[in-house]
Amino acid sequence: MEGFVAWLIITLIKILVILAVVLGVGAYLTLLERKVAAHIQRRPGPMVVGWHGLLQPLADGLKLLTKEDLFPRYGNKFLYNLALVMALVPATLVFAVIPFGPEFELFGIKIKPMLTDVNIGILLVFALGSMAVFSIALAGWASNSKYALIGSMRKAGIIVSYEVVITFAVMGPIILAGTLSTYDIVQKQIDQKLWYIWLQPIAFVVYMFAMLAETGRVPFDVQEAEAELVTGFTVEYGGMKFGLFPLVEWYIEVLSLSAIAVVLFLGGWSPINIPFLGFLDPLFFLGPLSPFVWFILKVSLLFLFVLWLHWTLPRYRIDQIAETAWKVMLPLTFVNLVFTAIIAPLIWR
Amino acid sequence: MPWAKGEEFLDLKERFKGLEIEEKATITILRIDKSQLIDLLKALKEEKGFKLFIDHSVVDFPDKKPRFEAFYILYKVDEKKRIVVKTWTDGELPSIEKLWFAGKWAERECYDMFGIRYEGHENLVRAFMWETYQHYPLRKDFPLEGYATEYLPSLNEVLWGDNLQGLMNYDRMHTYVPTLEDLEITEKKRLKKKAQIVLNWGPLHPGTHGTMWFLFDLEGERVYQCDVILGQLHRGVEKLAENEMYNQFLVYTDRMDYLSALCSNQAWVVAVERLLGIEDLVPEKAKYIRTMMSELQRINSHLLWLGTYALDLGALTIFLYTFKEREKLMDIIEGITGARLTISYTRIGGVRMDLPEGALEVIRAFIKRFPKELEEWERILSRNRIWLRRNIGVGVISKEDVYFYGLTGPVARGSGVPYDLRKFEPYDAYGWVEFDIPVGENGDVYDRYLVRLEEMRQSLRIIEQCLNALEKMKKAPFFAESPDPKKLKLSLDGIGLKVPEGEIYSSGENPRGELGFYIYSKGGIKPYRVKIRPGSMYNLCIYPKLMKDRVIADAVTVLASLDPVVGEIDR
Amino acid sequence: MVKRVFERPLSWIERIFFIDFIRGLSITIRHAFRRTITTHYPYEKLVPPKRFRGFFGHKVVDGKEPQPAFDEWVERFKIKVEVGKSRCVVCMLCKRACPVPQLFEIEGEKLPDGRRRVSVFNMNMMLCTFCGFCVDACPVDCLFQSDIHETASYTRRDAVLNLEILEKIGRDWQRRREEEPDRIWIDDKNRERLWYENSVKLPEVKR
Repeated sequence: MEGFVAWLIITLIKILVILAVVLGVGAYLTLLERKVAAHIQRRPGPMVVGWHGLLQPLADGLKLLTKEDLFPRYGNKFLYNLALVMALVPATLVFAVIPFGPEFELFGIKIKPMLTDVNIGILLVFALGSMAVFSIALAGWASNSKYALIGSMRKAGIIVSYEVVITFAVMGPIILAGTLSTYDIVQKQIDQKLWYIWLQPIAFVVYMFAMLAETGRVPFDVQEAEAELVTGFTVEYGGMKFGLFPLVEWYIEVLSLSAIAVVLFLGGWSPINIPFLGFLDPLFFLGPLSPFVWFILKVSLLFLFVLWLHWTLPRYRIDQIAETAWKVMLPLTFVNLVFTAIIAPLIWR
Repeated sequence: MPWAKGEEFLDLKERFKGLEIEEKATITILRIDKSQLIDLLKALKEEKGFKLFIDHSVVDFPDKKPRFEAFYILYKVDEKKRIVVKTWTDGELPSIEKLWFAGKWAERECYDMFGIRYEGHENLVRAFMWETYQHYPLRKDFPLEGYATEYLPSLNEVLWGDNLQGLMNYDRMHTYVPTLEDLEITEKKRLKKKAQIVLNWGPLHPGTHGTMWFLFDLEGERVYQCDVILGQLHRGVEKLAENEMYNQFLVYTDRMDYLSALCSNQAWVVAVERLLGIEDLVPEKAKYIRTMMSELQRINSHLLWLGTYALDLGALTIFLYTFKEREKLMDIIEGITGARLTISYTRIGGVRMDLPEGALEVIRAFIKRFPKELEEWERILSRNRIWLRRNIGVGVISKEDVYFYGLTGPVARGSGVPYDLRKFEPYDAYGWVEFDIPVGENGDVYDRYLVRLEEMRQSLRIIEQCLNALEKMKKAPFFAESPDPKKLKLSLDGIGLKVPEGEIYSSGENPRGELGFYIYSKGGIKPYRVKIRPGSMYNLCIYPKLMKDRVIADAVTVLASLDPVVGEIDR
Repeated sequence: MVKRVFERPLSWIERIFFIDFIRGLSITIRHAFRRTITTHYPYEKLVPPKRFRGFFGHKVVDGKEPQPAFDEWVERFKIKVEVGKSRCVVCMLCKRACPVPQLFEIEGEKLPDGRRRVSVFNMNMMLCTFCGFCVDACPVDCLFQSDIHETASYTRRDAVLNLEILEKIGRDWQRRREEEPDRIWIDDKNRERLWYENSVKLPEVKR
């Protein structure tokens, strides 16, 4: 009984911490993005609200929350609101299976810094990822607007294509690790003294592209395409409802998928890897905190890379995106998969 | 000389009874009866090689019978010759839609503005005004003061009960305003709907670069048919021209193609100078200054095009980079002329002011650095695989299409037609400087992109030569001085600028195509009729054809590559 | 004379190793670490160049009028000259030169001593095109365009400049910028921020 209570309390604390951190970080990532974009474009970015605009996300949130709630005539109110929930919940749920660091002991209790270590973690991630398509399709349909409909159809098409690609791309690391549990995948990489990116560069590149496509980042932001569709499926949303979609898509999803990329390819919380020899930790002085810092560092670097791409590249056309997915990336991942399946047993077992 | 000689058409005289050939210094005219008009135009197009359609409109003479004089301006690109065909009509004309598609749009405009009916026109709807508008604005009997029974919707001040007097008396505006029903009727009158979904793209849409109203008949994302409704920015510039003095109209040329005001200024001023016959009196320095300034403006305009074009294709950062350079150009233009957008710098007979101190140094510093920036943008875009895939093979315009649709400017050059008025009919200092005309090969969007980038480089060359020339003549006069001040008083404000009777078509190379002015003068200080040939409008008329069977994502690509400015289309 | 431009297709090496992306990315990252170039309006403001065509003003009589034009026009219209008051001689040339003449409302009044002076000079800025024709037309260098460019107002009534405001703008201008040389712009820090890459050197100010 006591064990159950302790477990319950720990889990609740974990949920609170993760939710707070994810939403708070998500909000502040908007500021980060604006600053990065601004400096790439030779501007200072937000400077007025707080020191170097540090309070800008709060001001933005306040502004969005106090805005009038508009609803398009002849739209479907239930679906319109359901789309929001469907967007936010799966995106946050993904964080349930992301391991932020190694197991540690606090007051004699062993704690894994992840919400739940299910043994099909990766499967869960992509199952939840596919849920995003519902929210977008619903948002487009319920808005009763042609722009929104076209935008949502585009996005749905992309997600369907890239779900297939991304699943095949992560198959490589899973075969190498021999497990679907996210925690174990990282542990395996540490045991084998090898980040899987060294064996799976193609899968990594494909994964990155698929991640951009799933989250609607440049060069795959066709569902937004402000020049063509204004803002695509969010065009009829207003106030904080409008603010939630980019928050979920551009920040929380990018964050979660970056974290998964780190877990699968970059060895999770492990420090810099020298293949087959071991790990090099320039941050050893942080002691037990070092793994967490490494994890956060890797995720933020990936996120920054995504931003960097976003503010450099133009965007593809929808048919070209689908074409790339089915004609280039899927065959590539197939080849990679077969290759891995043949090589992996020879090396590891 | 840009005008064809009269003797070239003597053989046509046998076939067309009643063909009169009129040759003047400023124009060559073929006069023909209405019944033979189409045959003559066909002969000119197919036998004589006058393939490029430039313009068509009507001049209204209320006292004469028949009342309207229609003119068609054609161009022969191989031999750089221009010809005007004229005919008289009382309200009906045969349509030239089969000969030149561009004529269709010009006819629509004439129908709108003069009430001329065209036989054989596929879909004769009003070009700028709404369908239920009863009047023909460019007819001479159109009441300028408005209609006493109509009122503008009230201003806030009227609603509050403010006592509006003197300068603030807005009560006297009597004009028609379209209602929503009117707009609906206008929309219904367009081509027959061909697909299930009709997407209203515009009039207020970030991708249309202004207030254009496109209607896409969609099948999925594919565009089955595209139609354009113009007129959201129609301000009646041609009517204004008839009621302003020659020099005052300069102000309105700023507001047509507002992104290249200096080039428009220059085109207008050169046209009037040619009509006055004082082109040679304008001092060399003024010519160099004008040339240099309008090339700066060309770079400025192309920078805005590049920025918004990249923005449309999702490359958001290029927009800010080009605006950084554009801001510098704006600084230069502001420092020299005093304004950033609506510049009004040139004057008939020269320029408004001499170059200020430091102008040459600043421009030199700018053109020294600029190629580097240009190269950087090219490294981001030109060879980027996404950029290539979005651009190559999209919106292909063939050489024949250029003539058929009356395309000019970079759009024509992108398709391999080296039609550049700066070379073909050099005005101001363009005859004295060296530069190349960039031409594309395939005529797709990517070629137009490359052509415009190369044009910026060529502009830099021109500017550098102008700078070298200007440095040598720091003290030279910048304004024409007439040898006989009483005969031709060219004062700074232009009061008393008397223009002789006559007519002229003169054009300048704007960044977005040929900007031509057909001026019909009956003497006096105001023109009788000014027809503006807007490059953007004729460039836009190929858009529905290019959009056929393409997806919406290409709509922005193609539109941005045509680079229309609504202020010039609608006037 | 004619220069052909054409596309160059991507090579396979560029395709496989994403050379095209890397090129673009290297440029944007380099820009990210350079100085910002924007002016932080409204906290920082550029000083417009002297030729800037902003709001109008009337220069006042201060002994620096263009001679002999000023005396000639004063004699012609029998204008009463007062130091510190507008130089306007009520010749209406500005109104004649204007493309939108109805924006002017000019009246002169007759004083008891028989001379005249301007009494009403209203300009409706809602109609103005800021072309500067009226400034060119002014024979006595009275009407001019100042560097005032923040011209928003809450009501249409506020957009009318009357004689008092015009003179005020004129006095302010004569105090601040009348003496300035005719330069393309004056160097200030904010403009320098945009132009630092070009390292432009303006000639020294001759005072």
